[in-house]
Amino acid sequence: MPHPTLHHRLPLCQLAAGSVGRVCELKGDPQFCQRVREMGFGESARVTKVSGSGTILCSVNGNRIALSHGAAENILVEEIARR
Amino acid sequence: MALPSHISSSAANPSSARTPVYALVGNPNCGKSTLFNALTGLKQKVGNYPGVTVEKKVGTAYSQHGQPITVIDLPGAYSLAARSPDEAVTRDVLLGRRADTAQPDRILCIIDATNLERNLYLVHQILDLGRPVLLVVNMMDLAAAAGTTVDVARLEQELGIPVIACEAVNGKGLIELKLAMSRADLPLARHAWAIPAAIAPAVTELQASLIAHDRKAPLVARAEALLLLTDQDSVRVAGSTPLHARTGEILRTWQQRWEGEGTDWAGTLVNSRYDAIGRIAADVLLQTGETGPTASDRIDAVVTHPVWGWLVLGAVMTLLFLSIFTLAEYPMNVIDAQIAHLADWVKSALPPGDLRDLITSGAIGGVGGVIIFLPQILILFFFIGLLESTGYMARAAFIMDRLMARVGLNGKSFIPLLSSYACAIPGIMATRTIEDQKDRLVTILVAPLMSCSARLPVYLLMIAALVPGDRVPLFTKVGIMILMYALGTVGAFGFAWLFKRTLLKGAPPLMIMELPPYRLPRVKDVALHMLERGWLFLRRAGTIILGISIVLWFLSAYPKAPDGATDQQQLAQSFAGRAGHLLEPAIRPLGLDWQIGIGLITSFAAREVFVSTMAVVFNAEAKDDDTTPLRQAMLAAKWPDGRALFTPLVCFTLMIFYVFAMQCISTIAVVRRETNGWKWPLFQTAYMTGTAWILSFIVYQGGTALGF
Repeated sequence: MPHPTLHHRLPLCQLAAGSVGRVCELKGDPQFCQRVREMGFGESARVTKVSGSGTILCSVNGNRIALSHGAAENILVEEIARR
Repeated sequence: MALPSHISSSAANPSSARTPVYALVGNPNCGKSTLFNALTGLKQKVGNYPGVTVEKKVGTAYSQHGQPITVIDLPGAYSLAARSPDEAVTRDVLLGRRADTAQPDRILCIIDATNLERNLYLVHQILDLGRPVLLVVNMMDLAAAAGTTVDVARLEQELGIPVIACEAVNGKGLIELKLAMSRADLPLARHAWAIPAAIAPAVTELQASLIAHDRKAPLVARAEALLLLTDQDSVRVAGSTPLHARTGEILRTWQQRWEGEGTDWAGTLVNSRYDAIGRIAADVLLQTGETGPTASDRIDAVVTHPVWGWLVLGAVMTLLFLSIFTLAEYPMNVIDAQIAHLADWVKSALPPGDLRDLITSGAIGGVGGVIIFLPQILILFFFIGLLESTGYMARAAFIMDRLMARVGLNGKSFIPLLSSYACAIPGIMATRTIEDQKDRLVTILVAPLMSCSARLPVYLLMIAALVPGDRVPLFTKVGIMILMYALGTVGAFGFAWLFKRTLLKGAPPLMIMELPPYRLPRVKDVALHMLERGWLFLRRAGTIILGISIVLWFLSAYPKAPDGATDQQQLAQSFAGRAGHLLEPAIRPLGLDWQIGIGLITSFAAREVFVSTMAVVFNAEAKDDDTTPLRQAMLAAKWPDGRALFTPLVCFTLMIFYVFAMQCISTIAVVRRETNGWKWPLFQTAYMTGTAWILSFIVYQGGTALGF
């Protein structure tokens, strides 16, 4: 889904703590993508990175979700706000 | 309550002659079991982490007019496209695939008001099933505190089903809910959801085939058609009955076509549901205040921190073991004195003889030796209850995720392992939340290595015998205890690593796990859980352990030695003694003799039986006049050549043995059930007990060589 974007895409694991991103693309294992989407992590969801460099913690729609590093690598976001 | 008045289906209504059956479904950790308990008066376990309930539970609620209503509590699920065994239970009950459960007439959906959109996803799928649905919006108070509110009347209008605001924890909204549940007719949802145009023809075609060939009801067929498209594994979706060849063919044809066109059909379906939900949420969610970082966010900044997080985890564990030793001392002395008092009373009331010995040495000695540890068990469960109800469990899993990834599992596997500190049985049940079959099996195989509460009495007895003298520094005792727990944990990780590289190969699974908001522990829940586990412990002492102690007393008192034989000679030539002698060659290299061998044999039933056995075996030698504390009796025990039996090295070796050995029949039975066969429980018993023997051998022989 092409977005008219000014920002470049980066994996969720590289988003700085406190920054807000918008999910652009889910890569990797289709089964896993499915569940990530079903948990509200679909394309265009707003994600706030809370903490973590290995296992990461982020907040989507007000709930905190922990993701393995390998999973966060496969979620591409564009940064839309920095705290 | 104003209810929508459009047509309702009379066919879906429960007939007045039958008790209506409600299935209670919702996302993990949204309060299903709390509501279930409030409705039925039962005491299902509740906690603040996803995955407390992993099996269905049936109860009866009563309407305002006293009519019974059957309620089935189901494991939490994020989606009907189940990814783990616990979610599959929910899916199968809802679709009427479980032979042991009638298909529910009506569905009671519960959603968390603080997290409306994600929770509505499952509701959206469930509305497809075409069964009457009642929607409960739970945790309205927490949503208000977070600065949002849900317009319940508007939501009712949007969905066309009764919606009830509720706070299950304090019983608010229960009366309205019960009134709605006992209504004779419930409206069917006005479910306006347009299946995306690219997918719609496939759904229609699959639905027609499922009706014609797989004999499904029309609405169930539509729901199953949608599930077939969202779940890549069509075999798993179909459950035990395989799909008709024609249906499978249609599915494959469409999938190939979409793949050729580059259409992500599953993603499109999920996203279009979320679009529909987004429109509803925009109408019913009202922002009432500012939202900023919540208290949970601030706590998480510390607790999930890469450095502070470990310190917090370490502090929690140390505090737990310190409390086990310090707080328990006084109540233990009281129990000890009462037991001795009882034994003395029996001795003064009965004439000397076999009956008196049976009661004092067998029953009171054996059971008393175990129930003296009740205070420690209560403290352990109090702490575990606190961890579970505050929301810390999921944080511990978060911290452990990286370490778990090194051994080939993920943080999710840590929750069952943590539960196994209490008891391996609920721990093994909790593995049902693990998605991948191999990862689940690895977790089941290593879970009993985590030191459970039944090992606590063995450790405590051994620590008491190991460190002589009454004035032993507390930190020595706590240190040895932590060492034992750490050994079990390291062992569990080591074997997980080994199994993931050999028997059950696979990449480390990716984790996605929700961290619940922190909540203040509810004193009632924690106390209830603690007392329940304490009662279970006492009940075991009063049944299994009493039984084994009495049988053991007979086996150690008969056949009778000739008159004039010492107690030691009597025990040696008894049935129990002969069994111990049979085992002695195998355990002699570990520094253990036949008397301890009797304990190893009997404690195969349950680990704490070792303590009661030692009480029976060694108190049998104590003279009639007064009851010797078990510890002193054990310290007085000697090898035939006069060496002390329970040297510090032997006590330590025994502890190591109990860390690793699979000494629990109940665990073996649960593993058999959860893995559907004898293969894995037998393998598990062999590898654990084998490891226990080898490590004990190394420790004892090494220790002896070093002069300990």
